[in-house]
Amino acid sequence: MLQVRGLAKRFEPATPLLESVDLDVAAGEWVAVVGESGSGKSTLLHLVAGLDRPDRGEVRLDGRALDFRDDDALALWRRSHVGFVFQAFHLLPYLSVADNVALPLALLGASRADRARRAAAALEAVGLALAAPRLPGSLSGGEMQRAAIARALVHAPRLVLADEPTGNLDAGNAATVLECLRDAVKRAGAAAVMVTHSPFAAARADRVLRLSAGMLQAA
Amino acid sequence: MLRMLLAGMLAANRLRLALTVACIALGVALAGAVHSIHSSALAEIDRAAHMLSGTADLEIRGPRGGFDERVFLEVARRPEVAAANPIVDVDAALADASAHVRVLGIDPLRAVRLQPAFVADEGRTGGSDAARLMDLRHVWLSPAAATRLRLREGGKLRLVAGTATVELTVAGVLPRMDTVGDLALIDIAEAQAAFGRLGLLSRIDVRLRPGVDARRARSDIASILPRGVLASEAASTGPRAEAISRAYRVNLDALALVALATGAFLAFSTLALHAARRRQELALLRALGLTRRGLAALLALEGALLGAAGSVAGTVLGVFAARTLLKRIGPDLGAGYFSDAAPFEPNMLALAAIAAIGVGMCAAAAWWIARALQRMDIAEGLRDRSADLPRSSAPAVPIAIALFLLGFPLLLMPPAGELPLGGYGAIGAWLLAAVIAVGPLARALLARGERVESPLAFLALSQVRQLPGHLAASVAGIVVSAALCAAMAIMVFSFRVSLEDWLAGVVSADLYVRSGGGGESGFLTLEEQRRVAALPEIAAIEPLRYERLALAGQAAPLSLVARPVSARILRGFHPRPAEMPADSNDVHVWISEAARDLEGWRAGERVTLPIAGKDVRVRVAGVIRDYARTWGAVILPLDDYRRLTGDTRAHDLAVHLARGVDAKAAEDAIRRALPGAQGLVFEESGELRRRSLEIFDRSFAVTYALEAAAIAIGLAGVTSSFAALAWSRRREFGVLRFLGMRRRDVLRMLVLEGAATGTLGALIGLVAGAAISVVLVQVVNRQSFHWTLEMHWPVGTLAALLAAIVALCAFGARASGALAVRAEAVSAVKDDA
Repeated sequence: MLQVRGLAKRFEPATPLLESVDLDVAAGEWVAVVGESGSGKSTLLHLVAGLDRPDRGEVRLDGRALDFRDDDALALWRRSHVGFVFQAFHLLPYLSVADNVALPLALLGASRADRARRAAAALEAVGLALAAPRLPGSLSGGEMQRAAIARALVHAPRLVLADEPTGNLDAGNAATVLECLRDAVKRAGAAAVMVTHSPFAAARADRVLRLSAGMLQAA
Repeated sequence: MLRMLLAGMLAANRLRLALTVACIALGVALAGAVHSIHSSALAEIDRAAHMLSGTADLEIRGPRGGFDERVFLEVARRPEVAAANPIVDVDAALADASAHVRVLGIDPLRAVRLQPAFVADEGRTGGSDAARLMDLRHVWLSPAAATRLRLREGGKLRLVAGTATVELTVAGVLPRMDTVGDLALIDIAEAQAAFGRLGLLSRIDVRLRPGVDARRARSDIASILPRGVLASEAASTGPRAEAISRAYRVNLDALALVALATGAFLAFSTLALHAARRRQELALLRALGLTRRGLAALLALEGALLGAAGSVAGTVLGVFAARTLLKRIGPDLGAGYFSDAAPFEPNMLALAAIAAIGVGMCAAAAWWIARALQRMDIAEGLRDRSADLPRSSAPAVPIAIALFLLGFPLLLMPPAGELPLGGYGAIGAWLLAAVIAVGPLARALLARGERVESPLAFLALSQVRQLPGHLAASVAGIVVSAALCAAMAIMVFSFRVSLEDWLAGVVSADLYVRSGGGGESGFLTLEEQRRVAALPEIAAIEPLRYERLALAGQAAPLSLVARPVSARILRGFHPRPAEMPADSNDVHVWISEAARDLEGWRAGERVTLPIAGKDVRVRVAGVIRDYARTWGAVILPLDDYRRLTGDTRAHDLAVHLARGVDAKAAEDAIRRALPGAQGLVFEESGELRRRSLEIFDRSFAVTYALEAAAIAIGLAGVTSSFAALAWSRRREFGVLRFLGMRRRDVLRMLVLEGAATGTLGALIGLVAGAAISVVLVQVVNRQSFHWTLEMHWPVGTLAALLAAIVALCAFGARASGALAVRAEAVSAVKDDA
């Protein structure tokens, strides 16, 4: 489903971050990318999401290549096909949990009824059905991350990208969140790429790759 | 550590702090400039009055037309009087009708003992110049008069006297009279003869013997004076001008202070946002041991510094602006109370008080924020979950309602020193209620936003509905300035329409004729009036005669208007009761609302008026509207006036034209009928009404400028808040970009937020403004100026105001968010961004 070929990026002329990255992720497969801090894990994620432009290389989802020159087209593509889970959760503080989860559907133009139904289902799947009307500020870290996972999957994306999803969580919450994420990804049949520096988190994935010296290798 | 914390605040927030200081400075500058201009004008009037009074202790004044000169002999002979100086004081029109000049007729040999400045040079008192002062047809000018009239020694000054012209030769300029404004001095006998004041005086200046009790002497002298002639302290022009203009000056000062208050909301918003962003830092300080009081002191100091910087800058700016305005346009800010040039002479105490108000408002804002932060849960603050201040525990809705209800008993308060303090209090209470209600109203009005389909609108309304505390403060600034603008727009519109309606009734003749363009030296004799009335071009005339009645205990004399009175004429004045009184032996008068309020007279009551030196008992037939004067006025039927005084002269003629005759033909006919009258001024009623409305519009020019400043400050506040809020929401914008929103979608969302915020502030402001306008019209205006106005609603203007605020807020939000949105989504969501 996801194909990355020869992706390269450098931020400083003398120091390439990514040299020539190749990656294939099948539907329903969960891949973890590990590496040292500063190795380019998050950069890889951002390139795959079309948030940054590579110096070289290609990204394809379901056979269709991303056009990195068209910012608007990339935004529209992300809206339909990609779900994000951030380390810092990034829920909007002035929206209820349900509205936060439904936000991707709102951007896709779904009706209010449809948004409410699907957001409720997404929250039910992550065990937060009762938290729907609350504001994010009243949730614990683990709860917020589960809400973020629900938001990432509510619109049935083809690709889920998670950037250090357990970075701000304790071990107990991390385990719960990872379990949640795994179930959601498998249920949705999406291709999932998670970057992490936690071996515990990486061990939950189907496959672990190491990013080192700008190249991806099996870990 | 304190310095380190304050320095951190300053460094992190430079642009916004600079904007806040600028807005505080603008508010202080406006209030300071307005007050300085007025205090300079009053100081000049007082100085001129003292200069003219010289060493006099008392002055005796009477009606405009003068009082019997035999009073002078009685006063001068009294044992307590050391010196007395008789004066004829006439506001004379120039022959070319371009302006008028104040003419004092004096006895130079007496004057030199009381007002040495009246003589060119003390060393030459016995020389030829004093003799020339006694020459008939010679006039001495003050430096200001010589400059304005472009005359010097040997030049000719032509003044209107009756319908004729009197020509005087300029003997010279009196250099020591540089502070008295425009003044011309002639011999008293010349003044009496030229201006029809034979046997009459306008004033007597009195110096008492050393050791004499001034109050006792004044009382004793007053007891021998005829009715309508009063003794007062010397140089009473200053206090009189101060009293007459007090309501106008206080109203303008209040307006300027509202502009300052709007700036204070910006200060609150800045301090609140900064405190919110530093929640974690402040929670850490508390965790490390800083007490609540210490935290409050830190924030109060920040607020005071902000206020001090703004106040110092504003004071300097205000002084500069006042000095410049005085030099360029003089002290008249449009209402016509102050006409002479005035050197810059600010009241330093008042300026310090205004600056202190600026500091105080900022410190109060900081104190309010400190109170909120004192309630902060330290653990919660360390986690930094929220980007806003803790909400107030006090319920906003009950407080807002209580303040609203408090306004009503304040409205019922009578004026204090002719100032509508209760009205101002009600306005303040209702403004505060509107400000406190911003948060709850935002939630209530925008609750329907949950049903909005568009994701951008939904996000925008959700953001505004939650309304972070610091943004609420900026919206409050919009509410205050919008309320002020709406209230003034409604009040001014109501006033203008009422004035137009009144003018249509009062200025009902076709043509108005007077001798001389202004002043009181021009008049038409009975013979001249009859010649005009007899013309075939003229259907009817109404002679008008004006006089001043000095009443004991009143700062300003009553204006007496003697004119023909009929049901038709009275209708234009909106009399209450409206009916003409039944025929009786009483002399009926109609009093203005100001006379009713200032004298306490009522319709049907018998009162005593000092006319022609006698007490005359009259019956008040009704109360009329008089927008021309803020002091009292009395309309007396012309026949009664002539019978009581024997004075058959007229200042003006209101002329009704015969059918088919136009104004030009009538004017030509009148000029032919009065060939010796040079200086006749003709004005058609339409032109007179138009000119009156022009004066009205000009008098509110300063008001409009202050309103515009308040709106600008309010909008600067909300734009600044948007900018700060947008910058603090970079991460949120990045997330939205991650989720698939385009940059322009985010900007559109900001436009909608700006429009929603502007609509919220403008709507609350307009409603508050409408309520305040009723207070202005029915309470403030009545108690300050004693005028009844009808309420009229300028729907178009209010709609335009609403649209302008919404548009400017939308534009401001978009412009201020553009920089934040420009950041790449990737960098925006980084944890350390």
